[in-house]
Amino acid sequence: MARKPVGTTASKARRGVGQKVVLVLAGLALVPLVLPTLILLFFGLLPTLAAALVERGPQRYAWVCVGGLNFAGLSPFLFELWSDGHTIDHALAEVTSVLALLMAYGAAGFGWLLYMALPPVVGAIVQVAAQRRGQTLRATQLKLVERWGSDVSTQDAG
Amino acid sequence: MASEQATAIRQDEAAEAGATVLQGRYGVYPDKPLPEFDTPSAKAFAAADRRDPQRALFALICRPDLPPRTNVMRSLKGVQSAGLLPLIEWGCAPWAPAGRQCMMVVYERPAGGRVMAGPGAELRRYDDWEVSKKLVGPLTAALRELTARGVSHRAIRLTNMFYMGVDRETIVLGDCATAPAGLDQPVLFETIEHGMAHPAGRGSGRYDDDMYSLGVSLVLLLLGRNPVAEMSDEALLHRKVAAGSYAALVGEERLPLASIEVLRGLLCDDPAERWTIESLDLWLSGRRLSPLQAKLPKRAERSFPFNGKEYSAARDLGMALAKHWDAAIPVVLDGKLELWLRRALGDRDRADGVAAAVSNATGALGDSRAAAAAMLAKVCMVLDPTAPIRYKGLHVMPDGFGPLLAWMMAGRHDPRLLAECLLREVPKLWLGEREGYSPENTMLAATYRELRDQLRIPATGHGLERCLYLLNETLPLQSGLVAEEYVIDIKQLLPALDGAARRADTKAWPFDRHVVAFLVSHLNYDVGRQLQALSDDDPAMAALGMLNLLAILQWRLGPAELYGLTGWVGGLLGPVISSYHSRELRAELEAEIPRLVRQGSLLALYRYVDNAEQRQADAEGFARAQREWAAAEQEIADLDSASEAREARALRLGQQSAAIVSVLIGLATLTVVTLMELW
Repeated sequence: MARKPVGTTASKARRGVGQKVVLVLAGLALVPLVLPTLILLFFGLLPTLAAALVERGPQRYAWVCVGGLNFAGLSPFLFELWSDGHTIDHALAEVTSVLALLMAYGAAGFGWLLYMALPPVVGAIVQVAAQRRGQTLRATQLKLVERWGSDVSTQDAG
Repeated sequence: MASEQATAIRQDEAAEAGATVLQGRYGVYPDKPLPEFDTPSAKAFAAADRRDPQRALFALICRPDLPPRTNVMRSLKGVQSAGLLPLIEWGCAPWAPAGRQCMMVVYERPAGGRVMAGPGAELRRYDDWEVSKKLVGPLTAALRELTARGVSHRAIRLTNMFYMGVDRETIVLGDCATAPAGLDQPVLFETIEHGMAHPAGRGSGRYDDDMYSLGVSLVLLLLGRNPVAEMSDEALLHRKVAAGSYAALVGEERLPLASIEVLRGLLCDDPAERWTIESLDLWLSGRRLSPLQAKLPKRAERSFPFNGKEYSAARDLGMALAKHWDAAIPVVLDGKLELWLRRALGDRDRADGVAAAVSNATGALGDSRAAAAAMLAKVCMVLDPTAPIRYKGLHVMPDGFGPLLAWMMAGRHDPRLLAECLLREVPKLWLGEREGYSPENTMLAATYRELRDQLRIPATGHGLERCLYLLNETLPLQSGLVAEEYVIDIKQLLPALDGAARRADTKAWPFDRHVVAFLVSHLNYDVGRQLQALSDDDPAMAALGMLNLLAILQWRLGPAELYGLTGWVGGLLGPVISSYHSRELRAELEAEIPRLVRQGSLLALYRYVDNAEQRQADAEGFARAQREWAAAEQEIADLDSASEAREARALRLGQQSAAIVSVLIGLATLTVVTLMELW
């Protein structure tokens, strides 16, 4: 086996840190350019932020459910911001618009409802499927017994 | 007058209905017994030749439970020799009085009656000329004929000699084939050795035994009476041992001088010195030899006290020890006998033999009683090497085990002693006492080994029944299943069982210990595997073993169709059918077996029910089904036991579904809005 050259891992780590620094600096440079969008997204996606903060556990799906519809409700106003003037004033006007907030938050609420309602439905479907599987397996066993006799249920027979 | 009467009787007999027909020619009449021709083991009945009704015949009906001497029948059939009763025909035929088939032997009917009507009957005295002319001459010719044909008579006695013609001029020897050799012989007519043995265990003997019997017959005829008629068999034996046979029988009687020579020669107790046929020929031609002097046993200086009596000869003492078995063991074990042999008798060889036997017994591990019994048997052999094998109450010549076992089993006598004797290898001790090499003894040793091995296996096809048929090749099958048949040849077995299928309880097997032992003993084919299967605890294996054995028999010996037996066996294959797992296959087998039964082929039946490929496919299918069943059972258990896990999984799945739906709606909305903005 060939030996790894000494110092390869350290050089990779140094390169990774350098890239992150470049990206952060580029992002900060872009903030003045996308600030109206960021303002609209921040206020419009507050329900998603709240869902992400509230949910606990290893697998978090609530913020995805809420966020998906929340973003869908906010998207017309985001396009409007981009098309009618990408300014901070316009962004502030949008976040203070009842219609915009109603649509974004309403959609988020619908997303939460989806998150609450779907698991019981899926659970019922899984339970029914398990019962059906059990019945199928018992029918299979019965056929085996009919064909091979009751000894088929004992491992040491035959 | 007598001739006319005989002719009338014969014609009457020939016309009689209900006669048994032997070999399609000889009629035997069960309603016409002829007790004057009976032997102790066979009843006589009138017989007639259907091609020649004038011929006077009689038939002897053999006991079906004793082995007849079919080799003698085969040798003597059709032989016309001076001194021999002509044996016309022999064979098996249905015999109504016995309700079964029996072996019967047809002889020419002697017109002059018996020489001696019965053991205690009067006897006409013969002079030496008459003896020479009427007896010695013809009987020497008869014995020469027998010797040339390789058989011994072993039934030479005056009650088995007949006057062939009404003139009573010609004497012939009667039947010697219907019973085991020597069985019907009184001790008087037997040599000392054979006289010591059980009548059924005397063995076929040799030609010189016939010479001895002839000598005894001569004595009785010359004296005109039985000189020892009042003596018991035991007393007679002791007298023969003590004084020698000639002195014991003749004693102080006066006999013609010319006869003394032949009597001394024929009654010589040493078989090596006993007169032969050649000696008789010389004597008949007028050449005279000096008479043999009896060699008396060596006598001890002081007698040996045993059981209240004094003994001064080894042979006498041997007889006493064998008779009082339990009392003899301590006497021998304490060394007194050895000392007596060494000091009083001066026989160092015998003393050494006894010492070795005692030493072996005291040093033997295990059952001390068995060792002591074997020791005493050995000591008896050392004291009298020519005597029969004596073991506890059993006295049997080495070649007499077969007839004795047949006699015991026929009479429901307990054969355990005989089995014990063979198991403890007592005959091997007897063979060890023989001097020099003898091919006969080598064969006997091999036979005893096989018998011992068979007795050690208790399973069907082995044991005493196997020994019975190994030792008695001519013994008919003794099984109750074929009680009405006379199965003496292996080829007759399957037809007999086929016939038995009509009468027997078909829920029982067509096999019992006798049938299997007979089959295995007569079949020259290795059927060890089938025998093992036959004794298997698994009824299916056992039934297959039975069918396999029968199929082999049918394959090798026929007949091709055995409808009754195939049906019988087919009805017993339930366990074999049940040994298959597949219900479909079982149904198929049950449907197919009747068709195969109608073919009458056991072989086809066996091949069908024990098809290796079919069996393997069934086993593999069953194993697969077991795995499927177990997997299903596991899955059902998992389904029953994992409801919480399933609920957790369902919750997660629901949440994932909700997230996906939400993202999809979001993406769809974004797409619509984007398109609206672009247009």
